[in-house]
Amino acid sequence: MSDSTPLAVDMRGITKQFPGVLANDHVDFSVRQGEIHALVGENGAGKSTLMNELYGLIHPDSGEILIDGKAVPINGPRDAISLGIGMVHQHFMLIPVFSVGENIMLGREPVTGPGFYDRGRARAAIADLTKRYGLALDADARMGDLPVGLQQRAEIVKVLYRGANILILDEPTGVLTPQESHELFGVLRDLVKNGKTIIFISHKLKEVLEISDRITVMRRGKVVGHLTTKDTNEEEIATLMVGREVLLRVDKAAARPGGVALKVEDLTANSDQSVPALKGVSFELRFGEILGIAGVEGNGQSELMEVLAGTRRATGGRVMLGGRNITTMDANTERDAGVAFIPEDRRGTGLVLGFSIAENSILGRERAAKFSWRHFVLRLLAIREWARGLVKEFDIRTPSIDVAARNLSGGNQQKVIVAREMGGKPKVLLAAQPTRGVDIGAIEFIHRQIVKERDDGAAVLLVSAELDEVRSLSDRIAVMYEGKIVSIEGPDTPEERLGLLMTGGGMKAGAA
Amino acid sequence: MPLGSVVLAFVVGALIVGVTGGNPFAAYGALLCGGFGFICTSGENPALQISNTILFVIPLITTGVAVALPFRAGLFNIGAEGQLLAGSIACTAIGIKFSSLPTPILLPMVLVGGMAAGALWAGVAGVLKATVGAHEVVTTIMLNYVAQWLLRYLIIGGPLQLAPGTSKSLPIGQGARLATILPNDNTLIIFGLPSSVFRVHTGIVIALVAAAVFAFLLWRTSLGYEIRAVGQSQKAARYAGVSVRRTIIVTMLIAGAFSGLAGAIEIAGVDHNLTDKYFSDTTGFDAIAVALLGLGSAVGIVMAAVLFGALHAGGSVMQADANISGNLVYVLQALILFSIAANFVGAIRQQIPGLRRPPPSAPAALPAEPPAAPMMTEAAAPPAEA
Amino acid sequence: MSALSDILHLLFTANLWQAALAAAVLLLLPALGGVISERSGVVNIAMEGMMLTGAFFGVVADLAWHNVWAATAVAMLAGGVMATIHGIVSIRFRADQIVSGIAINIFATGLTVFLVNRIYGLQDVGHVGQGELLPYINIPVLDQIPFFGKVLFQQNVIVYVALVILILTQVVLFRTRLGLRIRAVGEHPQAADTAGINVFAIRYGAVITSGLLSGLSGAFLAIGISNTFVPNMTDGRGYIALAAMIFGKWTPLGAFIACIIFGLGQAIYDNNSTIHISQYLLSMLPYVLVLVVLAGLVGRSTPPAADGLPYVPGSE
Repeated sequence: MSDSTPLAVDMRGITKQFPGVLANDHVDFSVRQGEIHALVGENGAGKSTLMNELYGLIHPDSGEILIDGKAVPINGPRDAISLGIGMVHQHFMLIPVFSVGENIMLGREPVTGPGFYDRGRARAAIADLTKRYGLALDADARMGDLPVGLQQRAEIVKVLYRGANILILDEPTGVLTPQESHELFGVLRDLVKNGKTIIFISHKLKEVLEISDRITVMRRGKVVGHLTTKDTNEEEIATLMVGREVLLRVDKAAARPGGVALKVEDLTANSDQSVPALKGVSFELRFGEILGIAGVEGNGQSELMEVLAGTRRATGGRVMLGGRNITTMDANTERDAGVAFIPEDRRGTGLVLGFSIAENSILGRERAAKFSWRHFVLRLLAIREWARGLVKEFDIRTPSIDVAARNLSGGNQQKVIVAREMGGKPKVLLAAQPTRGVDIGAIEFIHRQIVKERDDGAAVLLVSAELDEVRSLSDRIAVMYEGKIVSIEGPDTPEERLGLLMTGGGMKAGAA
Repeated sequence: MPLGSVVLAFVVGALIVGVTGGNPFAAYGALLCGGFGFICTSGENPALQISNTILFVIPLITTGVAVALPFRAGLFNIGAEGQLLAGSIACTAIGIKFSSLPTPILLPMVLVGGMAAGALWAGVAGVLKATVGAHEVVTTIMLNYVAQWLLRYLIIGGPLQLAPGTSKSLPIGQGARLATILPNDNTLIIFGLPSSVFRVHTGIVIALVAAAVFAFLLWRTSLGYEIRAVGQSQKAARYAGVSVRRTIIVTMLIAGAFSGLAGAIEIAGVDHNLTDKYFSDTTGFDAIAVALLGLGSAVGIVMAAVLFGALHAGGSVMQADANISGNLVYVLQALILFSIAANFVGAIRQQIPGLRRPPPSAPAALPAEPPAAPMMTEAAAPPAEA
Repeated sequence: MSALSDILHLLFTANLWQAALAAAVLLLLPALGGVISERSGVVNIAMEGMMLTGAFFGVVADLAWHNVWAATAVAMLAGGVMATIHGIVSIRFRADQIVSGIAINIFATGLTVFLVNRIYGLQDVGHVGQGELLPYINIPVLDQIPFFGKVLFQQNVIVYVALVILILTQVVLFRTRLGLRIRAVGEHPQAADTAGINVFAIRYGAVITSGLLSGLSGAFLAIGISNTFVPNMTDGRGYIALAAMIFGKWTPLGAFIACIIFGLGQAIYDNNSTIHISQYLLSMLPYVLVLVVLAGLVGRSTPPAADGLPYVPGSE
């Protein structure tokens, strides 16, 4: 690969204005043929907008796009596909109720007679593709039944079936285990050997350094850096992304654990699909410590948090808070008992997006004596005073407390939740994915707040899909796998060992 | 925005009248006369027209509230008509059965009875929604038909029939009747007519109180907060510890009570018995347009009710004076609905450079998910401070 | 004789089943339209209004041209135009599809009566002559089969057409490329769009098809079963078709079974001269039936995942 390698993609002066935000501001972005090019930036930096423009899903207001050296109009995904561009979206473009084969064929279906869908030829085409690229798949399986890793594989096969030479992968490792990510990287390297060009969107800097040849960094709609991977490092990229120096580690003193806050014994519960999700979870959480739960998403962490918070029913076992059995309490009673919960789904669960900050600040406490007279008539003045206090204390950036949560940035939305839950001075704080999808500034702030909460004596249970976050915040790390805690480890456990435990390996040292 | 939708609907309506060979100016002039008593050319009494308009406005406010409240919970109550009929049936039945009781006892009885019957009718849809997930749009439509046929049965051959061969019920007792605002006196001349022809009654006070109760409930109470939370995000409501099922049922019960009240007021205030007029009553459907046009706020609902009340009162004058079918009112109503729902006005505004508004500064991303009650925009957001 | 034994007795007569099938077809056509529309992701509660419009314009055209086939085409076209309005409002302008549907229904009610008044003044619409109605056709030989011959092969031409459309719809939706695409658009429009499928074209096509079918049903009602137009003559059939669609789990065959059940209710009502019960109470039957059926479904009927959600390109 050298400077003389022809360009596969050359986007010049791309500008896109959305209501209220300049998503792309004269962006120049080029990718050489046969390279893995990483596009990095924080959420909202304009990466996805840029790639959606390349794929024809949205149209730039100005600027031009050259594919393999020729200026081309891309008026829709159809144009992009015919130019050999394929995209694996962060949220998979798969239809759960369709078969794998139907999903892959969609848009270019083999037909017989007057238009009958030809299942046999579909099966053959997929067998051919999977053999060529070593990506095994069952064409007749129902897509919704496949694990996430295989769904992603189907997405890649789908793109290859359309004859893509340029593959865009949007945050492809977000849902994968470290092992699955490594597997994916192997696949990507094979694809490059087969002559494909890959654009890899990510905010995980370690991965970017591992897989890419070159890096383009975006911040607030602008390109702020073109880097060659082998000549750069994590700090440099992070500084470019954020626009200032960032501390990648969490500063915290050693924990001083107190008595047992939460005692969980042999807890079982079902998932939304009514299959067992928790299969006998036991652990103790102490005041003044952060217990992190590591695990691949979907191994029962979400259900565990919901049961502990009272929004999901346990099918067995018990949860003790101090001396009280809180297993069957509902969310309101638990909140009164001092259990606060930062849910993982910020926009859907943690906030009512159409409500103002003031209204969101009492979500779940709308019948508390402090905020309502006789549990019925709202005390509006008390609510506003409370909300103003939270906005100040938690540095929520907003013109007023009457702004709808929908109109706040992701980081500020999360701060509203954190403020509400911590503002009640909880005994136990349940934090699920507390920094998912928020900018680095907000991450730093939220991390500091969680540590402060611990230092003030609260017991913190942390679930995060980011292994780095679990390792840097936690005083102890519990690893969950298939609805059980398979091991509780120290904070300095190597990533490799955690990764192994998360996928069911290395259980002999387990101390559940 | 709502005003623009109304104007746009009237423009399109004028086109329809014109294309079909009518005179839109005559039609709208007659509507104005019939609705508000302005520029009457055929000797209509303006005061009487206003009185008639108010008669239409009263049930529109109450049923408008009955549609708007479930909207906030993400529920589409298309059953206000059936709930209204249930209320009028219960009111009539009680008013006949206990006809000898005095007003202070019987009047509250018939009104509360009507509310209970309406609540029951809506409650069926609420319970079906909350327990088996049956879509309230379908169940409330079916309940409308059940109520209509029940009404027919009751007053044609059924137990409430006045006499064989008639299609009306016995009148309710004197004690069950709402007082008219002007004295019911044939000899007293007011505004050039005997005061007894002005049938506007004290139900207007009840309707305005109902609108106030609605606003208070929605914005100033914990229950209202929970209703709105359920409407915007059931997940968030559940997270907050709100029982979504209970909230859905309670919301429908309250909404049904409002509709039932509307039906009871119609009997107690205007008709005093059930008649075949109720077979073709459309108040509960008009209420959908009222709630949408009023953007779900109490003041908006009252204003929209006045508009539609005037249209209906004006429709008959238009038919008589301009020879344009009163059904044009429904065409206008549908056009207003289209216009509000599709935000045609906003789209037109975007096409005209001079009118183009700067884009709102806040929302960065495209809307990811439509809210559960999409028709309720933030324009109707709460006055958060007292 | 009790009402129950009356009904039981009726259930064994070919006349009843013949009438039930005809009544079912009246519901089946809009129900199939609903299936197609909602499978593509556009909620359609406007079949009532499309039927009514179709019925009206069918009668107007038949009276003017004395040609039942041209009139039927006009009826379908009228339904299609109403559907196009619903499509533009809900696809292009991303309006709430239930509001749009209600507006269509109110619009149809108002417009038809308004036009009756404009065109025919205060008189009746008038009656279509016997020879200008959709004909009843007996299929030779087959119509001689005991019981089934009468039920299946002595029917209006529209009944045969509808049964063909039923099979066609079932096959197209679940066996062809077009069907795969329609369902993909209704389940996950983003996925369909990124696969190069024109989401808007599919949705417009599906909604307009639902209008054509509803208009055809309106023609069957007004110039097949009846011979004139009366205001609101559809009487909620479009809504019952909607319920049939849900009960049939958004599949053509399922909707057909539901239509048969409701058609049977209608036929029993029409034959009420032999049943000793108030005709008004009997009229409630189909609607109560819908409620009972919906109550018994216990959430087992799931609409297409993107049903009712406007598609915004580039959103996730």
